Amino acid sequence: MLLREVDYARPATIEEAVSLLAAHEGARALAGGQTPVNVMKARAAAPDVLVDLADLAELRTIGFSSDSLLEIGAMVTYTQLVGSSEVEVARPILAEVAATIADVQVRNRGTVGGNVCVSDPTNHLPPLLVVLDASFTIRGSDGERVVSAEEFFMGVYMTAVGEGELLTKISVPPASDTGDGFSGVTIGKHGTYVVDAAATVSSEGARIAIGCVAATPVRATEMEERLAGGDFSDDAVREAAKGLGASLDPPSDVHGSADYRRSLAETSAVRAVLQAAGRRKT
Amino acid sequence: MDVTAPARSRTIAVDVNGEAIEYEVPARRLLVHFIRDDLGLTGTHVGCDTGNCGACTVHVDGAAVKSCMLLAVQADGTRIATVEGLSSEGELTALQRSFNEHHALQCGYCTPGMLMSATALLEQNPHPSEDEVRIALQGNICRCTGYVNIVEAVVAVGEGA
Amino acid sequence: MTNVPSDTVSQGSTAVEIEKSPVLEKGYIGQSIPRREDKRLVQGLGTFFDDVRRHGMGYVHFVRSPYAHAKIISIDVSRALELDGVYGTITGDEVAIHTDPFFEMSVEPGANIKDYALAVGRVRHSGEPVAAVCAATRELARDAADLVEVEYDPLPVLVDAGESLKDETVLHDDAGSNTVWSGVFDWGDVDQALAEADHVVKIERLHFHRFSSTPLECAGALVEYDKGTAEWTLHCNHQMPGVGAIWMAPALRTGIDKLRFVTQDIGGGFGNKICLHPQYVVLCLLARKLGRPVQWTEWRTDQHTANAHGNERTFMDIEVGVMADGTMTGFKVKALDDCGAFPRYEPLGCIIWAQVTPGMYGWRNIRVDFTQVCTNKSPVSPNRGYSRMQHLWLTERIIDIVATELDLDPVEIRKKNYVKTEQMPYETPNGCFYDSGDYAAALDIALELIDHGSIEDRRKDAAARGKLLGFGIGSTLDSGTNNFGQSTLLNPDLQFSGNNEAASVKLDIFGEVVVTLGTVPQGQGHETTAAQVVADILGCPPEQVNVRRGHDTWFNSHAGFSGTYASQFAFTGLGAVKGAAELVRDDMVQLAAAVLQAPVEAIELADGFARIKDGPEEAALPFMALGAIVNANNAFLPPDFNPTLNHRYVCRPYFGMVDTEKKTGQLTLTYATQIHAAVVEIDPETGVVDVVDYAAVDDCGIRINPQIVEGQVHGATTHALGAALSEEFVYDEEGTLLTSNFYDYHVPHALDMPPLKTGSMESPSPVAPLGAKGMGEGGGGGIHCVCAAIQDALGAAGKAIVYTSCNPPHRVWSMLQDPESTRANVSVVSK
Repeated sequence: MLLREVDYARPATIEEAVSLLAAHEGARALAGGQTPVNVMKARAAAPDVLVDLADLAELRTIGFSSDSLLEIGAMVTYTQLVGSSEVEVARPILAEVAATIADVQVRNRGTVGGNVCVSDPTNHLPPLLVVLDASFTIRGSDGERVVSAEEFFMGVYMTAVGEGELLTKISVPPASDTGDGFSGVTIGKHGTYVVDAAATVSSEGARIAIGCVAATPVRATEMEERLAGGDFSDDAVREAAKGLGASLDPPSDVHGSADYRRSLAETSAVRAVLQAAGRRKT
Repeated sequence: MDVTAPARSRTIAVDVNGEAIEYEVPARRLLVHFIRDDLGLTGTHVGCDTGNCGACTVHVDGAAVKSCMLLAVQADGTRIATVEGLSSEGELTALQRSFNEHHALQCGYCTPGMLMSATALLEQNPHPSEDEVRIALQGNICRCTGYVNIVEAVVAVGEGA
Repeated sequence: MTNVPSDTVSQGSTAVEIEKSPVLEKGYIGQSIPRREDKRLVQGLGTFFDDVRRHGMGYVHFVRSPYAHAKIISIDVSRALELDGVYGTITGDEVAIHTDPFFEMSVEPGANIKDYALAVGRVRHSGEPVAAVCAATRELARDAADLVEVEYDPLPVLVDAGESLKDETVLHDDAGSNTVWSGVFDWGDVDQALAEADHVVKIERLHFHRFSSTPLECAGALVEYDKGTAEWTLHCNHQMPGVGAIWMAPALRTGIDKLRFVTQDIGGGFGNKICLHPQYVVLCLLARKLGRPVQWTEWRTDQHTANAHGNERTFMDIEVGVMADGTMTGFKVKALDDCGAFPRYEPLGCIIWAQVTPGMYGWRNIRVDFTQVCTNKSPVSPNRGYSRMQHLWLTERIIDIVATELDLDPVEIRKKNYVKTEQMPYETPNGCFYDSGDYAAALDIALELIDHGSIEDRRKDAAARGKLLGFGIGSTLDSGTNNFGQSTLLNPDLQFSGNNEAASVKLDIFGEVVVTLGTVPQGQGHETTAAQVVADILGCPPEQVNVRRGHDTWFNSHAGFSGTYASQFAFTGLGAVKGAAELVRDDMVQLAAAVLQAPVEAIELADGFARIKDGPEEAALPFMALGAIVNANNAFLPPDFNPTLNHRYVCRPYFGMVDTEKKTGQLTLTYATQIHAAVVEIDPETGVVDVVDYAAVDDCGIRINPQIVEGQVHGATTHALGAALSEEFVYDEEGTLLTSNFYDYHVPHALDMPPLKTGSMESPSPVAPLGAKGMGEGGGGGIHCVCAAIQDALGAAGKAIVYTSCNPPHRVWSMLQDPESTRANVSVVSK
């Protein structure tokens, strides 16, 4: 419950932040802190240097790129996401899902950048951003690069953001002719997910990702293939989901056995797809 | 002083319940311990180790946050409001009076956090529905009341009761 | 919905008059007066122990075992001591030198267990304190603890009570066995009843799980030692200091009066702050050793891991006799209780369930074969509902399983078998007396609140939405005011019997009425309700009555059993307040009579005055006048008249003696009724249970403050719902607790709550001083009715039997996948 000694810096610009992260091995970026502070309280990990991104106003904006991508700064909080008219217009599922993360206090501090950079298998945003085909802009001392969602999430607590680098924004295609869905089972209302599934349905078919069952979100590729024909009726979706559970190797813990999670994966995938199909404006 | 070099401690400047304070704190000190141990404002409570219970809820720049999930240094330059700042000269707010009328507290340990969360809600949404109140209080655990009277008390303030 | 309290209560064929305070009808008793405690608490001006500071104080952090069972090979504190700002340390070796083991309640072999304040030579549960470090700041104490090096040699771990029973690995060598206590309770003739029954329903195994009420404020204390007087002061949150002192004083080899317990505001107790003596002894030793005040605040993780859980109990080989008309004639059961690593208070749990042996029902033939064993898990302590809740869950499970298997209606079978109101006071097979109540009427209120008549329509509607709807009843008793003589059933050599509580009332020189309580409130509104009672007796407004906060040994207003526990405040606590107030009243009346030169019978206390009834306006003395005479101006009083206006009263409830051979006796005095009803909808694909309708009906006799009573019902219901649906202390094979924080141990938050309807009735208690029974614990009604509702819902999808008390989604899902494995648990033999 009490942290080890740590050094703290609060850079004024992104360049300073990047150079601080590069200069100190064992330095970690500090965004909202809703995960790292817990980790440090438990002394499960103890970075030597915390680089607080609080003053980097550039990272707190939500807007549109010239080619209509919804651009969300890494330091945008869940509360900002929930209240954003840009998000509501472009990709409301983001606000819908963010509104169910934990509680108001956490949403006032927690950030989208933090949520994805932690890459905890039970986090809400990773499977969602995978199906939304989001792209991630990473800045290092030698410039900027953009990676896809699949490239971004590499493992538990592991992302494409390397030492001395900073995630600056997440870009999401607007919802044109798509419907989005999200479904799962949590530990209590608005609690941690036991299994979740995100889905988008468009003229190109379905994109489905399952969370909590592996180190990173798992694309339900077979199910997607079976739905390529465009039939999103109840029966068709349920039929397409068969075997999804068997293809997974989820963990067993206090909140459910591997078999339970396999079953939930199928159920959540079906529900997410039906929800997405139902919302698609044809 | 080079503000951006990493340092083990930092002198922070905060406004706490309207009072300007400067204080040197170790970087590792949680905001809740700064408030309780350094400033002696013991109305804000600690109820858990993992940021779930909300007993430590305060306002930072007007937003309800859990002060055990923030380092004091992160609050540098902000306006902090704690439960002690709600009433002035013993004059209770409508919300505090409503809590009393509706028996919305038993042991009183979660109460400061509840009041801060509810106050933040009422500032943004003066007439919340029962659902909206529950959403606003979702981050505050109570083990005594079952939330029934707490929700009633907050809704009643919105109804002008 | 409220019955007007009557003057008489029928007791079989004899009417019994209740003694009533003369102002009961019009007074403050019975009113929902807003609480005076709130003013400080809503301003954040409460004083909880961690708010208390002392100059030069040190902060303590415990070094705890990561192993569930291991020998301690060595402890090296030298690196910790080298850290700047560390004041000192203490280890088990020092504890073994400076203290004697805590006294054990049980007979042999449990009596031989050596329980010290820190682990001595061996650790027996993960999180058990092994050493303690004291430093200038909380952070430094935490850092220093990391520097203490402990070498362990792991031993085999026991996490299953059945395994533990085999004694292949023994936790306490001094005892030689893991069995703490074992005994058979046999009343009536259950073998005969089973032989004569038309049906015998057999249930192989039911399991009541580990959980606790997890009060939001953790345990802790700030301890000061006065070297000059060799006295300790503990600013703490111990909820039963009388018993705490009984454990601590002999261990510390000191007198009881050398331990001063001071409690102020406490953030919830629920029984989890009863067994704090081990940690407190460590603090006492450190305060003395280091010559400075020392402070310890328990971490949430430590509260979950290593403070106290509620009893875990497995019921096996249950057999129930049922007649063709649905009358249940008796049952037998083997109960295996898991008390964790150290029994402490827990052997009493072997007996206390017997307060409610038949539950709500009239069966007369009952055999309980009860064994308690140690395991490598957290010790347990009297969690809300203590031991009776587990037993009442058993009786309710029995009713519902019998109803399911014999296709009987759960409402009808209950009404048929409930003890009837005409039978009150009802003597149970083991000599307890259910004082009053009308279970059938309370059930009807609950059924009306949840619109029972519409259940089948709602079931069809839910089915159309793909959900399984279920309805369940949980009837339960909240027994209050313990007879500690029941401890002799556990151990005939224990010198405990009866019960007591004390209070003092005085009238000061300026007419201020001051009340000090022996109880230790943790949110139950004692200051407010005590003021209501005193105001009624002294004829003044409650605002004129000042009730001091908390418990202080130096108030000298406590007795051996003082504390707040066991649903007894309305009886013993307020009984003591009533007694003391009446003595002060008598002084006031006599004094006023002497001053006003009127006969005593002509004097009344009303509106803050002592005056002549219907007399002239001037014939009235304000309280201040009376206070001034006794305290400062008494020369004119006759020599043989010595009113003090300052009285301490001990409420001693009367119980009959306990028969240790037949294991019968009046184990408790009052029985509040709670009937709960729940309607659930289950998502069959995920196992998620949604409580869509809920009612709780309470009958605790006269309600001193109905709003406070209702608040207790809300709280007890919420604890039960959490336990029924998500709160579970789960261990892995190595004895590591997997649910040690609020993420994994999910308690109800605001959005988790179902719509909660409450109802009430008042069946006054013929035995309680104010007709008010104790209440508050609740008896776990929510667990019973949710289990019943889930089983009812699953009736349409395989008819699984609910066999355990906690049913989170994954467990419900498993019951839907394989109902047969749960049904294999149950069989019926019919004539």
